[in-house]
Amino acid sequence: MPLEQLKTRVSYQTLLLAGFALAASALLGIGDWNTRDAIEMRRQEDLKASLAQVIPDELYDNDLLKSTVIVSTDGLSNVQEILVYQARKQGRTTAAAFLLTAPDGYSGNIDMVIGIGPNGEILGVRVIAHAETPGLGDKIEIAKSDWILSFNGRSLENPTVEQWAVKKDRGEFDQFSGATITPRAVVNAVRRGLLFFDMHRSEIVE
Amino acid sequence: MLLLETYKKLAGEGLWHNNVVFGQNLALCPLLAVTGTATNGLGMGLATLVVLVCSNGLVSLNRHLIPAEVRIPVFVLLIAALVTLVDMTMNAWLHEMHKVLGLFIPLIVTNCSILGRAESYASKNPLVLSLWDGLMMGFGFMLVLVLLGAVREIISSGTLFANASLLLGESLSFLEVTLIPDYRGFLLTALPPGGFIAIGFIIAGKRLVDRLFAARTIRVTTGEALTES
Amino acid sequence: MLTIKPTSGPHTGSETGVGSIMRQVIYALLPATAFGLYLFGWPAVNLLVVTLFASLLFETLCLKLAGRPSIPTLKDGSALLTGWLLAMTLPPWAPWWIGVIGAGIAIVLGKQVYGGLGQNLFNPAMLARVVLLISFPLEMTTWADVTPWLTESAPDFNAGLTITFAGLSNPDAVTGATLLGHVKTEWLQKHPLSESLSDFCTLKMWLGMTRGSLGETSALLLFAGGMWLLLKKIITWPIPVSMLASVAVISGLFHVLDSERYLSPVMHLGSGALMCAAFFIATDYVTSPNTPLGQIIFGSLCGLLIYMLRTWGGYPEGAGFAILLMNSLTPLIDHYVKPRIQGRDRRGRPLEENMLKGERGKRKEERGN
Repeated sequence: MPLEQLKTRVSYQTLLLAGFALAASALLGIGDWNTRDAIEMRRQEDLKASLAQVIPDELYDNDLLKSTVIVSTDGLSNVQEILVYQARKQGRTTAAAFLLTAPDGYSGNIDMVIGIGPNGEILGVRVIAHAETPGLGDKIEIAKSDWILSFNGRSLENPTVEQWAVKKDRGEFDQFSGATITPRAVVNAVRRGLLFFDMHRSEIVE
Repeated sequence: MLLLETYKKLAGEGLWHNNVVFGQNLALCPLLAVTGTATNGLGMGLATLVVLVCSNGLVSLNRHLIPAEVRIPVFVLLIAALVTLVDMTMNAWLHEMHKVLGLFIPLIVTNCSILGRAESYASKNPLVLSLWDGLMMGFGFMLVLVLLGAVREIISSGTLFANASLLLGESLSFLEVTLIPDYRGFLLTALPPGGFIAIGFIIAGKRLVDRLFAARTIRVTTGEALTES
Repeated sequence: MLTIKPTSGPHTGSETGVGSIMRQVIYALLPATAFGLYLFGWPAVNLLVVTLFASLLFETLCLKLAGRPSIPTLKDGSALLTGWLLAMTLPPWAPWWIGVIGAGIAIVLGKQVYGGLGQNLFNPAMLARVVLLISFPLEMTTWADVTPWLTESAPDFNAGLTITFAGLSNPDAVTGATLLGHVKTEWLQKHPLSESLSDFCTLKMWLGMTRGSLGETSALLLFAGGMWLLLKKIITWPIPVSMLASVAVISGLFHVLDSERYLSPVMHLGSGALMCAAFFIATDYVTSPNTPLGQIIFGSLCGLLIYMLRTWGGYPEGAGFAILLMNSLTPLIDHYVKPRIQGRDRRGRPLEENMLKGERGKRKEERGN
């Protein structure tokens, strides 16, 4: 039967559509097979890169992603458990890092990663994702301003718990001119992170 | 000779006269969504170009097999598969770019110009011509994306091709320029309304160029007519 | 011999034209503007002058590009008024380039790209203000303290030039939040109104002795200007009345429900850009509906939006956004609420009196029987 006549048959059309669907699925299957490992590797690299920002290289010789401990927050945060990454050197825990969220930003959540030394001193804080006003609240990004570095070396004793606030709230930390809510949210979240670490120090640094 | 003319005509149509954005006013959604910077425009443009060429090629190859009744589902199936492949490939090997464009890559499926070319050109023409048409249409679209991205980037942050080296490796780092140091930034152009306003001005500019050319052609032809007579 | 001296054609001349309307509106704006200049001193004067000058410049440029004569259009004062309204809504100590960029956006993007006066979809001044607010949030939310002329804290002429053309050197010391901004930040900190408004004086706010935009602080003077426009029949009552009434009613309702969370109507009517928007911006002929009913719908929805944006929105004031949103709805309102054509009803059907004494007349008779 010539092709033109065949093309008008419903069975041909159905089979053709099925054939193309099959071919497309096969194509996608091959594509997935070839890219799966690479994509997983990229994901881990991303996570490592953000952890490396808050824990200096010389502090650990282990694989951060593989030595983790799950710690319950006991209601300190709106998540039940936090996955803490432990940095180890020659078997001793030298630092810990975990993700942190400030739910009270000017426009939504501010996601951060924080690194803390065994004595409770902050090694670094970085903002990973946020939706704050560009030009105003986005100074919490390291790319826009050094402000986030002002947490380095701080701990719950330095400054005192009352002074863990922006200057407008009679605290230690600068706000930006024109924006108080964003830095306030970040400072409060970092303080909560320190409190969390303090309560679970024995679990994290054993 | 005749074939060369056809190629020339296709190139002219794709790049200028019937350009996806200028001529057809299609694909404005990805256009406005991703062109905050020239680099993003280039990345999105390249991804669209690849999909467009491949889909035109596949459609043209199979054009005798596909009955008119089921052509649309078949085209959509092909395009969707291609886009997913591009998405996975970018995620694996152009990861930084994928982080920026990730949300928009799947949206290439909805880019009406791809289905449009499959339907109006590739399904009726031989393979090589269809590939060429896809290349020129995709290239024309990419040029507009880069142009719009460049305009918006310069006005919104004073840079050009920022982070271009993330797109295709260090070899592109020469493109990165800071045109206006210590620029305060004009945020609107980075936002969707700014995209609309900028594309408005660019289309107006294109019309102006067309008009100038038309005026010149008329003058030239009348001039010739005068000398002939 | 009969000589006829035709003195004039059979037409009635009208006193009002675009020029005279624009002039009247500027007169009505004068008291509030003068008060704003008195409160905020030389920097405010500089900003007003820069904005007006830039508006005229952009208008001339656009008309040149379009190949139209510029002098007649410039003379009608519409560009001047747009610049004036824009300047009134800017923070008084904003740098000069805010005025210039704002004027450019208002005149070029807000008006001329549509084809000039009468063709624009959005109110040019409000469009410019919203673009500026989104693009330069820092400059557009830096509110100078009240430093009346001839008092010690007022910047002298040179200091004024420095503030406008070189920028504020120490912004935190001489600026602060507006009432609406203050209340919003305090509420986010979970401070109720009784706390955040402890040292607040309603009378001062209504008079205008408070931080705010250059010409928007004095609700009373703006109200007076609006009344004058109403008297002169430049504007009609539906838009301002419905807008103010809807804000008053809605805010009153919420205030009664929870007076620690929601500001009272007195505060809402007297603060922010509401008074200016109700009388001078929303009443723009071009961008508001044509019929009284349409205008009432327009005005009340404006009021509702302003209240919602102020209370639950991201920015402290929402007048600009509200007006722009409603501007975009104006064609729709005009589509559904059409002005009545002489001899026809609203839907365009002929009125009964005009119908031929045919069927309907007959039917009436039958019904009578």
